[in-house]
Amino acid sequence: MTQRVTGQRFRQRKLSTKQNLQVLREKEIEQLADDDATRHIPKVETGVEKGEEIEHHLQAVISAAQAAAQGGGKIAQLYIPTPDAVASKLQYEDLYPKRFTQPATYIRFSSTVEDSIGCPYCMTAEDVAWLKTYNKKHKGAPCSEDDLEQAINFFEETTQTKQPYASVDNSPVLTYEELESEFDETIGESARNFARDIYIHWKDERIRRGNRPLMPTLKFETNLETDDADPYVCFRRREVRQVRKTRGRDAQVTEKLKKLRKEFEEARFLMSQVKRREMLNRDQLALDKQIFEQRSAVKEVKRRLSIKTDDEDILINQRVSLTIPMSGSAMLTASQPAPRPSKAPRLDTQMLHRNMPGMNSKSQPTRPDGRLVDSDLTYLEDQLAKKADMIDHFVDENLMKHQKWNEGWVDATWRPITPPLEQASAKSDFRRVFTDSQLPTPPASVSSEENGDTIAVNQAKQLEPRRSARIRFATPPDDVPYQDQSRFRRRTGRGGRIMVDRRGVKRQKIEAVDDRIADRWKFAGDSSEDEQVYPVDWTDNLHIRYRIMIERQGERHAQQASRRAIENHNRSMSGHSMPTGGQS
Amino acid sequence: MAPREASHEPAGTPAPVETGIATLAQLRAGVKAFVDKDGEKRKAEILMIQTRAGKPKFYVHYEDFNKRLDEWIDAARIDLAREVEWPAPEKPEKKKAVASKADKAPPKVDPKNPKRSRAQIEREASGTPSEATSSNVPSKIQRKDSELLVTTEVTDGVTPKPEDEEMDVVDIQDAAAAAKAMPDEEYSREDEIEKLRTSGSMTQNQAEIARVRNIEKVQMGKFEIEPWYFSPYPIDFIDVDMVYICEFCLNYYGEETQFERHRSKCTLLHPPGNEIYRDDYVSFFEIDGRRQRTWCRNLCLLSKLFLDHKTLYYDVDPFLFYCMATRDEHGCHLVGYFSKEKESAEGYNVACILTLPQYQRKGFGKLLIDFSYLLSKREGKLGSPEKPLSDLGLLGYRAYWQEVIVDLLMDGRIEANIEDLGAASAMTTNDVLHTLQNLNMLRYTAKNQHVVVLTDAVLEQRERQKAKEKVKGKRSIEGERLMWKPPVFSAASRTWNW
Ligand SMILES: [Zn+2]
Repeated sequence: MTQRVTGQRFRQRKLSTKQNLQVLREKEIEQLADDDATRHIPKVETGVEKGEEIEHHLQAVISAAQAAAQGGGKIAQLYIPTPDAVASKLQYEDLYPKRFTQPATYIRFSSTVEDSIGCPYCMTAEDVAWLKTYNKKHKGAPCSEDDLEQAINFFEETTQTKQPYASVDNSPVLTYEELESEFDETIGESARNFARDIYIHWKDERIRRGNRPLMPTLKFETNLETDDADPYVCFRRREVRQVRKTRGRDAQVTEKLKKLRKEFEEARFLMSQVKRREMLNRDQLALDKQIFEQRSAVKEVKRRLSIKTDDEDILINQRVSLTIPMSGSAMLTASQPAPRPSKAPRLDTQMLHRNMPGMNSKSQPTRPDGRLVDSDLTYLEDQLAKKADMIDHFVDENLMKHQKWNEGWVDATWRPITPPLEQASAKSDFRRVFTDSQLPTPPASVSSEENGDTIAVNQAKQLEPRRSARIRFATPPDDVPYQDQSRFRRRTGRGGRIMVDRRGVKRQKIEAVDDRIADRWKFAGDSSEDEQVYPVDWTDNLHIRYRIMIERQGERHAQQASRRAIENHNRSMSGHSMPTGGQS
Repeated sequence: MAPREASHEPAGTPAPVETGIATLAQLRAGVKAFVDKDGEKRKAEILMIQTRAGKPKFYVHYEDFNKRLDEWIDAARIDLAREVEWPAPEKPEKKKAVASKADKAPPKVDPKNPKRSRAQIEREASGTPSEATSSNVPSKIQRKDSELLVTTEVTDGVTPKPEDEEMDVVDIQDAAAAAKAMPDEEYSREDEIEKLRTSGSMTQNQAEIARVRNIEKVQMGKFEIEPWYFSPYPIDFIDVDMVYICEFCLNYYGEETQFERHRSKCTLLHPPGNEIYRDDYVSFFEIDGRRQRTWCRNLCLLSKLFLDHKTLYYDVDPFLFYCMATRDEHGCHLVGYFSKEKESAEGYNVACILTLPQYQRKGFGKLLIDFSYLLSKREGKLGSPEKPLSDLGLLGYRAYWQEVIVDLLMDGRIEANIEDLGAASAMTTNDVLHTLQNLNMLRYTAKNQHVVVLTDAVLEQRERQKAKEKVKGKRSIEGERLMWKPPVFSAASRTWNW
């Protein structure tokens, strides 16, 4: 048979599931002499366990069906015999009353069994008997079935929580007191009334069953060795989720491996490059050494032959190589540490000392001893920057010290340190005032020619961006004694009133008005000739008193008056330059 | 060779079997004897011996019969005139572990309770096999030449009248004779547990204790049903004659009083989930194992009574349960169901499938299968039931597949492509291939081509089916009545997250 198959002219083609096959009737195909060919279609498993596939009744049915499929005539209606299911003797109608009405729409339901069965404990025949006798003996309201179930259920559940291994470890039945202390809302008022009596019955039942639960329970896992072999243990939790085997996961693994390989190769490449760099460094060091030795040789020769030419010419290529690629001193030291490890540190300190006293950049290339300078160069900028840093640091430090000294003290002295970087000292509440910015109207009469005008103008310009601030600090002018300086203090009084105190407000020195100036004023303004202009010191106590008096007469008047007074004052003040702190 | 036996014998090599004439007193677990079964002598293995009302009872498994036909028999049905097969001797290293004293100890039989005591079963259940010393255990650790173990005096009883009237058994005997035995795979206990850990909802083998049915009878709805297999209901139930199961919440009670009491309180009238399909005949409810843990556990316990390979090793969380019910004024009566993994790595569209025995042979199985494929079509996936299939499962699926494939091929097409047939029916190509092959419809012509043949036999079967439907009315699932979108689950709800 096999020979005949191999001897066939055509090679068997594999069956393809994607290929369209002709659908024919039996009479349309030519019957092959034997069905060898069909054997080449791979047999598909039935899916039934091997041992059971051969079972008598299944085989009988299969054979019969096969006989039928092959056209083997009639088939009897065959079944696999199964144990009986018969009508029950219980009264179905009583147990399952007709309560169901089908809703028009599909049922949607999510209550659980626990929600739907009421009290989980159900009375046994023993319970019923006990209840009957109890209610006969007991006077007063009878104990209902629900009360009994509720109480027993409570006892059962409490025992389950308090003695989870009651059936195994021979622990005694809980006492009534123990149970009573656990009473909660799951046991109703009426059930509680009978609880003590029910307890006695429950305890008897419990003892009769070896302190096992009265309602049969399933066996769940106990995490003991015996669990696995015990067919009664069911519904275990699955510890670990099975890893799914999918094509996607396989691809993922492949990708991970590819990436890993790539990273390893990159690391290897990096290492080979490091190796190459170090080889080159070694070569360079060898060359440097050679250059150094040859230079010293040249030096020796020069010394011997007393050649006094500049050393520079023999070092020319060295300097080129260094100056071209490197422009800054920082780079010079930072990126070239390796080439001259022994020379650099020693020379550096020497250089520092020598260069300190004001070397300038022009003297850099050579040094008196004719030695090589290039790598040891210290640039002026660096030195200056260093110096500036040191100064700044010194100032800062002293400033800090000063502030510390002044802590808790009012500094009434002249400031000992020039730069007044100090914060406004809270110790003195008095502040200086810039009149120029304080005045509501600029003094029209101030003439540029006047002495000190330039300063005032400069000051104004300088302060321009900070116009908004009216009051600022200033160091006192050197030429005015402390007592004469006018000072102001702003303080907040009761009710949030803001008060400005002043002290040392200068009195205008009533000097003899320069004739020349007086003369100029003579015809200034549109005032009549009769009107006399008096220079007024508006800060005069007299004037202040006057203004206060006016104020009492009415605000408008006061304002006008004060404005006038200020104007007058301004006129009178013109030419007086306010002291300003220009040091900062 | 019985499939169960193979696990104790090296595959392929026929172990030398010791045979001999036995007395009734010498019979013990593991012995194979000829037993009268429906007027015919069949070889059966004794799995357990008990004394009830002073008479020994033997729990036997008939070779080449499904386990669901295992039963308790009287001594009179055992043919002691023929030689029996002694169980194979235990492997040496295991023999050491066995105390010979224990071996010879008479079985402890509770005179009050003729059945196995609960404590005894518990001990057996949780004990390791080598430690199980009770003679009641169908264990192989006893030596073949050990002394007689059943000490209860036995008197020959009257020959019992044949109770079982298994239909069709005789008719199909001849057809089955051709079936050839195959060497079975060998499973060690470790393999078995490992399988339980790693495989899905079906298992290959079971612990020995689970070989004996533990529930005598269940009462459910209008029916009393004889369970087929072991199910891990509370161990207390081995002592009761009847387990009462509430038709709606599936809670179980060992006592009629309790059950009646429960019925007076139970308010459920249908499976506790959303109705996703309704026609004039049946409704389908979708129930999430995670949300309805108790109900789904109850369902699994119930269905385990009728599914040999179902495992309840793990909890119900990762499954959805599609429950089919018929309706009347009493409520929606559960007829059958199939479970389905929320996410199946192998692309299964059914994990377990069962028509309750009281509703079998009424065409409900086909509706369940059809519905499972309808869901797959909605999902845009191909599906296949989880393996292993039971014998009934295989026959049910084969019938369904045949009908679907033949119908597709009869729509006038002149060409067919296996993948297209699969896509049209949500069947995997493998299942399409299996069906065509099984019906002898895939042929290889002299023209060196594969063709699909609508055989006369297949056409005739279809005609007969049509004629039957005309008389009885065709029951089918109507896709447009399904109100369902494939549910989407977060990673947490798919897993065993409590
Ligand atoms: Zn219920």
